[in-house]
Amino acid sequence: MKDLLSNPYLSLLTRAFLGSFFIVISIDKIADPLAFAQSVGNYKLLPLPAVLVIATVLPWLELLAGLAILFGVVQRGGSLLLCLMLGVFTLAVVLALFRGLDISCGCFTQDPSAGKIGWMKVAENGSLFLLSLFLLFSKPGKFTLESFIRETADTR
Amino acid sequence: MMRQALREAAVLFFFAAALGSLYTASTGKGMFADTAGVSSPLSGNHAPVLIPLDEARGFFDSGEALFIDARHEFDYKLGHIKGAMNIPLQELDERKELISAIAKDKLLIIYCDGAECNSSIELSSKLFQSGYSNVRIFFGGWREWEAAGLPIAQSQD
Repeated sequence: MKDLLSNPYLSLLTRAFLGSFFIVISIDKIADPLAFAQSVGNYKLLPLPAVLVIATVLPWLELLAGLAILFGVVQRGGSLLLCLMLGVFTLAVVLALFRGLDISCGCFTQDPSAGKIGWMKVAENGSLFLLSLFLLFSKPGKFTLESFIRETADTR
Repeated sequence: MMRQALREAAVLFFFAAALGSLYTASTGKGMFADTAGVSSPLSGNHAPVLIPLDEARGFFDSGEALFIDARHEFDYKLGHIKGAMNIPLQELDERKELISAIAKDKLLIIYCDGAECNSSIELSSKLFQSGYSNVRIFFGGWREWEAAGLPIAQSQD
């Protein structure tokens, strides 16, 4: 386990996938905050003002966390945020399923024809959560912007 | 390690909140700035904002708003908010004559199914872009209205 957590190539691969993924999915939400607000509101868990605040902040949080992970800057903070967000998303989908809501996820795209929530969505979110957890506990490797800056400074 | 992660996460959160607020305020996409205007929607030139059931009901009772049903004609005929006009998003071009009869400053409340649709948002955005300055989106839509036992009709009034 310790070997896995300190493997720089595995960490790089996970960062590249997870970082790019969250950057891409944040763009749709940033471009259309109202559509995202409606997706969040469909879960019927929060009052409208809270939904609007989430629709305003969360897409940017996904973008910044994605960039942080991809470039390896404040990587632990980015991974922690992704863990928290994915944990909450997964819980919201599970609650919606138990309450029998027939809604679109709003997770990756705001296109309502992109698919409804289901246990497959829970599995997808769960997998992403595990990858984020791996990054949170893995040793920030040598292929990060932080280490590059440090090495450049050391050689001077 | 955890303390460092929390500190970094707080920094990212701060920047995300700042960027999100600045972006929505500058683009006028109906977040913070416009929700403040919900209580006096007839007074300004607002981008579409979401309104909850009680707001929609208030406008319905006062009779000052025109409700627009963005769903398919079939769904509309099965049941709609009493007095609502049907403009399915897909048939916007075919209903241009009908729309042109509506005054540009009329308060329009757009709704669709409410549970999973985006057509109310898209339609409100298109109407706003074509010059309708007072457009609102009834967030809960048809399902919430019907569940609340509010006035409905089954054919066009």
